[in-house]
Amino acid sequence: MSSLVKSRLIKFLLSLIIVSIAVLIIIFNLRDNIIYFYGPTDLLKNSDKQGQIMRLGGLVSVDSFQNETDSIFYFSITDGENEIDVKYEGILPNLFAEDKGVVVEGVYMNDGRFIANKVLAKHDENYMPPEVIETLKKSGKWQGE
Amino acid sequence: MSLYIFYISNFLLLLCLTASLIQFGKIINNKIFTRPGVIVLAYVQLISILLSFLILIYLFLISDFNFDLVYFNSHSEKPLIYKFSGVWGNHEGSMLLWILILVLFNFLFALSRRISERFKEITVAVQSIMIFGFVAFLFFLSNPFALNQNNFFDGIGLNPILQDPLLAIHPPVLYVGYVGFSLVFSLAIAGLITKEVDQQWASIVKPWVFSAWAFLTAGIALGSFWAYYELGWGGYWFWDPVENASLMPWIAATALIHCVLILQKRNVMQSWTIILAILTFSLSLVGTFLVRSGILNSVHTFASDPGRGLFILLFIFLILVFSFSLFAYNSEKINKINSMGLVSRGTGIQVNNWLLITILTIVFLGTMYPLATDLLLNKSLTVGPKYYSTTIAPIIILFLFFMFISPRLGWTDTKLYKIIIQMRYLIITSLTITLIISLYFELFNLTEILIIFFSLLLVISSVTASINFNKQNILVRTNLGQNLAHAGFGILMMAVVSNAVYSEERIYNAKVGDNLQLQKYIFSFDKIEQVEESNYNSLKAYFLMKKDGKLIDTFTPEIRFYSNPPTITSEASILHKFFSDIYLVMNVPQDQQSISVRMHIKPFMTILWLGTLMIIIGGIISASIRIGRVDEK
Repeated sequence: MSSLVKSRLIKFLLSLIIVSIAVLIIIFNLRDNIIYFYGPTDLLKNSDKQGQIMRLGGLVSVDSFQNETDSIFYFSITDGENEIDVKYEGILPNLFAEDKGVVVEGVYMNDGRFIANKVLAKHDENYMPPEVIETLKKSGKWQGE
Repeated sequence: MSLYIFYISNFLLLLCLTASLIQFGKIINNKIFTRPGVIVLAYVQLISILLSFLILIYLFLISDFNFDLVYFNSHSEKPLIYKFSGVWGNHEGSMLLWILILVLFNFLFALSRRISERFKEITVAVQSIMIFGFVAFLFFLSNPFALNQNNFFDGIGLNPILQDPLLAIHPPVLYVGYVGFSLVFSLAIAGLITKEVDQQWASIVKPWVFSAWAFLTAGIALGSFWAYYELGWGGYWFWDPVENASLMPWIAATALIHCVLILQKRNVMQSWTIILAILTFSLSLVGTFLVRSGILNSVHTFASDPGRGLFILLFIFLILVFSFSLFAYNSEKINKINSMGLVSRGTGIQVNNWLLITILTIVFLGTMYPLATDLLLNKSLTVGPKYYSTTIAPIIILFLFFMFISPRLGWTDTKLYKIIIQMRYLIITSLTITLIISLYFELFNLTEILIIFFSLLLVISSVTASINFNKQNILVRTNLGQNLAHAGFGILMMAVVSNAVYSEERIYNAKVGDNLQLQKYIFSFDKIEQVEESNYNSLKAYFLMKKDGKLIDTFTPEIRFYSNPPTITSEASILHKFFSDIYLVMNVPQDQQSISVRMHIKPFMTILWLGTLMIIIGGIISASIRIGRVDEK
């Protein structure tokens, strides 16, 4: 091997090692910050996920909405098969309503209740989060096209 | 009437297709395609697209609902300015705008002088084959001039959150940035074909790449400013996929402009510059079309159609395959061995290039990972914003250090300790200020302190470097663009960190007559009223802000109820002060007695925009100053 090729090979291998280490570090950090999305049925199957931050989506069950005070709310999220009770403290977005699609972010507690710290808002009245559509399709309750 | 317009506009598109094909034919066989000349064809391309764009504007202004695009995206009761900006508030219209800018860049370049005919021909040909591809895409797959058979009485309307003066100019500015890199890409390909990637090449590229970069920066800033006041979350950057899609080409382009400068000065790093030019343009394509394709799940997704995304992905793939094969074939021939000193300005810029590429990788992985898991594992997930801030912050520290030190180093080997001794007062000053800040504001996070320290160092050194006097005590202009942009970046970083640390939020449920408190300010809820506007109804709350009993300002957060299409938006009410913004937003009442109000104090927002503005102006200055700059010695 000529010395030029050799030095190039060494340079190449060195940078390959450095790059892979960097990418590994990035991916590890990435994994720590991932927020998974579940529908109610998925979440019940994955009950080992209790205590982690995640997103839960589906329809707000009819007649489930209650407020304890002006800013503490209770409602259930359903995919037509299973329901999960949610407690949320904060401001509800303008378009929050029963029987409409919703995505909340928070923690699934070991008593089976979901404590939400965010209700994700969209601006369009007819908008349905794609994950919710997917969830409803899975449970066969999707009525759109 | 509509039918005539339909024929004319489609004829214009076909005319542009033909002209672009002939333009491309010139480099295949210039005996057959001698006439018409490059410039005549460039005129044809420009005029045909410009006319069809004007026709589209006309159709929106007169609300001709015989055209599908107008029917789906406009409404007769919409204010005039939004009928106008509605032209590019949708996929087809924005594609036409994109092509118009593409053609315009091609035209301007074709007119430029002092460039060899052959080089110009190749560049214009590469540009024209892209014009051909996009016009064909527009004509066959997303024709803006499609007619419908029904006689619609009125249109569906434009998404109300897009009805905003800032959003009327945000896409055009962003597109000028994206599309500007198409010319840089064509120039890179022409350089590869002629095997002339040298100092002269760099001086041809420089004004184009700098202006594209300045426009892209401005476009991103406008989008961020819009999100800040329109989305009503008090944030200006959410690490949302759509935002990331515009940030990625910006990062690559930032590396690129510095490489073009080194190439111009020292005739080194030819291959790397070419790679960056290709990368920047590919990411610009990804940026434009991922946003419109509907693949991304984002707070900003509007009109979307996944089917079209496939064409664009294919197009990007072809461009990458073609340009990298050409590169692999010719790269040996463009490289010239010119060494730089180890401790030199060139090395510093190179290091920062690597850091930028690392940041780019971080953003890329974060943006693509959810897409990949969704497609491959059918699992939905989101990457939290903390991923970006914690991974990027340490890199920013190093990046700021090299930004500070590199311009102080010479192009050849420099003794580092000499520079540090030279800069001792500056370093001591920054250190003292940082200490005072961190003690006074009780800031004890090492990363934050270091970012503030190096930002300060960068700002002060850039400012002092730009104030240079010659022997006669006359202020001389030295790298004004560079110093302004660098100081702006330092200011931006300081503002970003302080804003993240000192932002405050309060949420209240308020009834008329309530007094709410936020820090030293009292907000009295005065009244709430309903207002009827031409295309929406609104619920407006009035808050009187008082400090020590004195009235300072009135806040009027609003909720708007649009009927075409039916949508509700919250309009924030913001008081911009120099050191902090006060930000109020309200939500629809849960019961009729009270409303929810969210109040934010956002420190340093004005300074944050100011820093961004300095970066943009710095870019424009660098674009307009040609070659003969005064170098500091």
